[in-house]
Amino acid sequence: MITLTIFCMAAIIFFSRYVFLEPRLPLKLSPAVLHFLSYSAPAVLTAILAPIIFIRDKQLDISLDNNYLICALLAVFLAITTRNTLLTTVLSMAVFFMLRFY
Amino acid sequence: MPLSIAVIPWGILAGSLALDAGLSVLESQAMSAIVFAGAAQLVAVGMIKAGMGISSILITTLLITSRHFLYSMAMRNQISPLPLKWRLSLGFLLTDELFAIIAKNKGPHLQDGRLNRWYALGGGLSFYLTWNIASAVGILVGKNIPNLDSWGLDFAIAATFIALVIPSIKHPSILICVLVSLVTSVVCELLEIPSGLLIASLLAMAVGSLYAKVTREDQKESQEESQGDKQ
Repeated sequence: MITLTIFCMAAIIFFSRYVFLEPRLPLKLSPAVLHFLSYSAPAVLTAILAPIIFIRDKQLDISLDNNYLICALLAVFLAITTRNTLLTTVLSMAVFFMLRFY
Repeated sequence: MPLSIAVIPWGILAGSLALDAGLSVLESQAMSAIVFAGAAQLVAVGMIKAGMGISSILITTLLITSRHFLYSMAMRNQISPLPLKWRLSLGFLLTDELFAIIAKNKGPHLQDGRLNRWYALGGGLSFYLTWNIASAVGILVGKNIPNLDSWGLDFAIAATFIALVIPSIKHPSILICVLVSLVTSVVCELLEIPSGLLIASLLAMAVGSLYAKVTREDQKESQEESQGDKQ
């Protein structure tokens, strides 16, 4: 059953990633649609990351005790000042795990 | 691809949780190898552990993965003219991370305005390899480390996405898009709306592009660009 689940999941996910890359699919994207789609990366990535940061134990947590929030703010600051993806990621993760374990 | 480092904690978590949910070593690794989707894997593993049926797992998978429809649509003009084997491989590798890199307007992934297929493939494969090695590590060590899921490994994904999103905010409309997405996704999550990710994304995209239209932001931008070309 688990094997079947894995294969079905793989099929669904591959379909979602591939279907619009297929040239035989009769679809012409208008400039308006393309403009709308140009917002998909920031919109989706933010929608994934925001709940991770702001919600602890199913509740909104906007306090200094929320390490996720503090380190996210650090990451925002680093991203603005350095514009370096790797540095931002690694440094904010390092601070996060330090706060967590020491 | 320096971003690969950021998928390591997330991959370790996926591997160890899969094993924890009762999947065999082979099944846990197969999940990372053929499903290759972080968020969907973690949620599905949680549902398997909770004893939920295959149909509800697949419906949830469809909801979580629906953002990839947006990605493939956004990349259609660049990837659909490529030969089949390129379409299949880049399609399979089209994760959040790869999309974030190759959807940008500028960068080493573009050659004369067209997508450099080798660059995209290299990026995709490095995420794939890292993801699978990290999952294997999670499968191997997960059993010996208690409460790996309480370590906060999910912060890694938040940090990476912040590092990707912030530099992409080049216009007020993108900032508005990000803010709408942030508030809506948190509200949806608090209300436990299952398709919150999709609702928040689409609403944010709509508000962002509408704002750009109303303020004629794109025209200003193209004027600036054409002036820049002349100089």
